Amino acid sequence: MPLAALAAALLLGTAVTTLALAGTPRDPDAEGKAVYKRANCIGCHKWHGNGGGGYGGDALSLRRTQLDREQIIQTVSCGRLGTGMPYHLRGAYDTIKCYNQTRSDLKDLMPPEGSTFLRPSEIEAVADYVLHHIKGKGEPNYADCTAFFGDGSRVCNIYRERAESAAAAGK
Amino acid sequence: MVRISSIGRRARLLCSVLAITTTLGGAAARADEVTQDRLQNADKEAGNWLLHHKDFSAQRFSSLNQISSDNVSGLKVAWTLQLGGIEGGGIWSHGGLEGTPIVEDGFMYATDGWGSVYKIDMHGGKGRLVWKMDPKTDHDWAGAVACCGVDNRGVALWGNLVVSHTLDGRLIATNKDTGQVAWQVQVANPDHGEVVTGAPLVVKGVAITGVAGAEYGIRGWIAATDLATKKELWRTYTIPGKGEPGSDTWKDDHNAAASGGGSTWVTGSYDPATDTIYWGVGNPGPDWDNAYRPGDNLYTDSTIALDFKTGKIQWHYQHTPNDPYDYDSVAENVLVDVGGKKLALEADRNGFAYAVDRTSGEFVWGLPFVKKVTWTKGMNPKTGEPLEYDRSQGVQRYNAAVTPARDHKIADICPGNMGGKNWPPTAFNPSLNYWYIPVIESCNRITVDETKGPAKAREFFTGGGPSQPFRITGSVTAIDVTTGKMVGKFETPFPLLGGMLATPDLVFSGLPSGEVFALDAKTLQKKWEFNTGGGVSAPPITFTVDGKQYVAVLVGMGGAWDKWFIDATPELKKMAPSSTLYVFAL
Repeated sequence: MPLAALAAALLLGTAVTTLALAGTPRDPDAEGKAVYKRANCIGCHKWHGNGGGGYGGDALSLRRTQLDREQIIQTVSCGRLGTGMPYHLRGAYDTIKCYNQTRSDLKDLMPPEGSTFLRPSEIEAVADYVLHHIKGKGEPNYADCTAFFGDGSRVCNIYRERAESAAAAGK
Repeated sequence: MVRISSIGRRARLLCSVLAITTTLGGAAARADEVTQDRLQNADKEAGNWLLHHKDFSAQRFSSLNQISSDNVSGLKVAWTLQLGGIEGGGIWSHGGLEGTPIVEDGFMYATDGWGSVYKIDMHGGKGRLVWKMDPKTDHDWAGAVACCGVDNRGVALWGNLVVSHTLDGRLIATNKDTGQVAWQVQVANPDHGEVVTGAPLVVKGVAITGVAGAEYGIRGWIAATDLATKKELWRTYTIPGKGEPGSDTWKDDHNAAASGGGSTWVTGSYDPATDTIYWGVGNPGPDWDNAYRPGDNLYTDSTIALDFKTGKIQWHYQHTPNDPYDYDSVAENVLVDVGGKKLALEADRNGFAYAVDRTSGEFVWGLPFVKKVTWTKGMNPKTGEPLEYDRSQGVQRYNAAVTPARDHKIADICPGNMGGKNWPPTAFNPSLNYWYIPVIESCNRITVDETKGPAKAREFFTGGGPSQPFRITGSVTAIDVTTGKMVGKFETPFPLLGGMLATPDLVFSGLPSGEVFALDAKTLQKKWEFNTGGGVSAPPITFTVDGKQYVAVLVGMGGAWDKWFIDATPELKKMAPSSTLYVFAL
């Protein structure tokens, strides 16, 4: 790369970093939730993360997961071998080894490719979202539901009714 | 049941305006208004496709013969139209097309998966969108509890109304001329895991609605709504209440019937001679843990005949008692009169085709229509019951070597749980008496997960799940209804997920790999094929406009295949979602 171009790239990089630092601090939860939706985590783990079997697949519960941050990042990046959990990192198993393996090593164990690829920062954001809002939580409730869908979503009807009937029973 | 109690001031005003318009238009029905007389004589309007299954008997046979076995090789695309509804929602990454369009006097009414209705003017050899009614279906609410895709299988016509459903459980009446919603009522409740995917069946101004949700712990039903008063006339549950006939077929001590399944998501048929509706009932829940619900589990996996006026069940015929396989009997019943017998034909997910006397529900004949059946060694030739069925047992094991059970948690079954035939409709040629079945030649693996506790609202309640270690293919299988014997099988590399159309000397269908094709009605030799480039999961239809015959099919993979079953057909992973109407002509 010519020196001038390199300098320009460095300057640009600095400018972007500076802008990001100077701007409104990003909300990591909002970003992680957006990734959770966009990468179709809902498709198997559901909005509440409890996953479960059902008609197909058998997604593990993220509410009961024992994985730590690094392990969640690895799982989202590389998928899970021999299961339906897809990989989401561009180049995984090709230019980037996953579980120290490449595509040619794995054959039938190769996990499916995610419907969308995520940047490393997005994978971190979704991992943080799982850690802060899903992992270790009990049964999903009305507050969880409205935090995910916003107020007024009919998805949350059943949780509101459950809370109301529990409150009524407690009186 | 939830009904929209207030339709809002604007909507009420609109209703009033419509009422005045109708009054000013005069008391006489307009020529293009749809009446019971026209529906009952749909075969006399050869150029139209007036009902979901072409006619009340669900034969999907058109007498049009401009396109024939001799000239079909010259069939070409006349025009196409891009539709919408491809967006995802809930657990679904995209919507698709499974609808049968309705055609009346050169106008087509088609739907996309989220329930938008499109009116298309087809005069002059081209397609022009007249209006689109977007019901603004609640994607999150409905899409999260649709077991098997973002689907809508079409509309019905009545008077000056286009009658349709939405996945989020509404019945909507739309003005045929303007595309304005005249009124709507909530008939199914997604809070309870209920969604609606089928087209309404309209008989004498009453819309019959079926429901989906047997994987979500629903108690299934069929409901009748008067289109004049918007009131529900009856609602018949497919799982009997306590003390009702059939309730003794739920022998557990934990009220399994309350979440017993029995969905009704495929449009039924109707016999005006006896004023009887014939409707298929889906699987019991939980799907694969039949020890949770000992007993025959009526009326799951059954055909039921209902009195149109009251909804009362006249008779039932059950195909797979205490089903541990997810072998729904939602399939349409095809009403035919052959050899002096009034028959109802049903091609079941369990791989067997059945003919029963539709006046009594008595078994007449049956046979396997798939290449491989393993769950039973065969059918009792007198009753049609599976040979291993043991009335004295609460929990059936059938061919125990392959049957999923709590002590046999991983089991490979044929047909697979998607069935030998799923919802895609059959067709019947009344001259040849040949019945054409769109077949999924399948096996798959069931893993049982013992059910702990009652169903939770809006959560899967299946007692296990399927996986796909085996390749799945398809066929068009023809049965001679006079003899009850198979007379031909045209094998296909992929399963038939769209359904059949019969004409005097041809049958049409499509494949999820994109091809639409025509076979000779007698020999099943392929006579024509065109690759649409998109997955076909909808049945073809035929009609005339300005005296010229066309064949049309909606293209755009809908349904459950690419989420739950794709590993059985790995080449289909590359098919992109799409949403296009294809119209063909010579």
